[in-house]
Amino acid sequence: MEQSPAPARAAAVPVDAPSPHDARRHPHRLQGSLFQPIGDEGRAELVERRLVDAITRGHLAAGERLPPEADLARSLGVAPVTVREALLALRGRGLLVTRRGRNGGSFVADHADPLSFTREAVRAASRLALRDLGAHYAAITGACVRLAARRADPSEAQQIRQRMQRLGDLDTEQRRRLLDDVQIEIVALSQSARLTREQMKLQAEISPYLRLVAHESEDALRQGEHLAAVADAVEAGDEESAVIRTELMVDETIDALISLQVRLN
Amino acid sequence: MEQTDEVIRSAADIVSEYFTAPMRTLLEWVEPFAAQVAQLRSTGPLTQAKLDPLVEPYALQTLALDGVPVYGAGFIAAIDLLADAHSHLAWWQGADRRQLVLASQTVNKEDIDYSALEWYRVPMTSGEPHVAGPYVDYLCSDEYTITIAVPAEIDGERIGVAGLDLLVAAVEKELTPRFMALGHQVTLTNGVGRVVVSTDPRVATGDSVRGGRLASLPRIACEGVALDVIVEEI
Repeated sequence: MEQSPAPARAAAVPVDAPSPHDARRHPHRLQGSLFQPIGDEGRAELVERRLVDAITRGHLAAGERLPPEADLARSLGVAPVTVREALLALRGRGLLVTRRGRNGGSFVADHADPLSFTREAVRAASRLALRDLGAHYAAITGACVRLAARRADPSEAQQIRQRMQRLGDLDTEQRRRLLDDVQIEIVALSQSARLTREQMKLQAEISPYLRLVAHESEDALRQGEHLAAVADAVEAGDEESAVIRTELMVDETIDALISLQVRLN
Repeated sequence: MEQTDEVIRSAADIVSEYFTAPMRTLLEWVEPFAAQVAQLRSTGPLTQAKLDPLVEPYALQTLALDGVPVYGAGFIAAIDLLADAHSHLAWWQGADRRQLVLASQTVNKEDIDYSALEWYRVPMTSGEPHVAGPYVDYLCSDEYTITIAVPAEIDGERIGVAGLDLLVAAVEKELTPRFMALGHQVTLTNGVGRVVVSTDPRVATGDSVRGGRLASLPRIACEGVALDVIVEEI
């Protein structure tokens, strides 16, 4: 019987050696998650999904012009023809429109409303999935705020608190963006790059749900109050309060989403 | 006692030399660069497309710096400097030295407000070079980073900052052996008491020395950078 060759033992990967992927890494800023390189495969379906996510999460607004194909290709790390295929598919789905002429290009369709997309996602989701998203988000964000409370200098938390002063003057959309930014800034105070990167991905995923909850809620300022309390706890070095308040915020969000789901079905 | 005095001074010198070298590189190009921007501005509106090619050679030159592990470099414009963007980073980074493309600069046209971030706020307010961090840089490097930034000026108007990123992991690898050669435990901290590097394995980067064991040990400021060294006999 032929002996199969012994499987090559995988070499231990040094923890912070740059991988080929790292060399092309782009910022993980919340709105920039659209541009994380897709990888060598770069199939049109992946590009399509990435763009759909950006539209449904409101990172690409209705009526917004897309960057030129060449720029998208470069940022996503795929061939221009792959981008073209994806855009064609999105046009077919009615999510993009093309205009010719001087101010031509690809535009997100006018009707593409992130709130309707999110409402539909909630309606179609299982309670299990919604609760599990909450559990995941609470675990990572909780760990981050705990570390932030331990390691941040009070002046750093104060800076963030100051950013929140104008929350009341903003509309729902602007408020959600500021709160997303503030959440990430608090999380970055953990001094952990890994946890911050993880949390940013989760923030991008949960943000449209937070936006929807705020939109449907009678208490539009509640999310801001939660985050202000977390920032205060971080400033005071109070790990437990920071975590508990984060978990409370998540519980309220998931409860609101499940109530909404009942109403939609 | 005397020996500790000598050691602490040597440690501070190591730090000053290490960080002032890359700072000098930035200081060397920031003036000619500012002059070029002034020249450009006199011929028409200053746009991203016009600014970036001006920055690129300086950024690449900084990235190629010998003896310092520069991860990213470039220029961050003052808010509303440019005609076609509220804010703008002209930044090159990584092993392949690519220009950073931020979604908010191309897709959302949403402005990143970096005005409160330490590496921008401090040099723009003080007019002095600054070593910011260590901090988690979620805008550019995505890693635990130290950013050196120097303000760029045209006739007293601060037009932005020239900067470079050092990954803390790389700084740790380079400074630790130099500190260990001094035969004492050496801990490097920043202005808020955050540990940057320590030879003592019990002392973690990112932790604060405030109110802890190290808070009462001999400590001095390093010249030219807002960093301190703490020394302890082994």
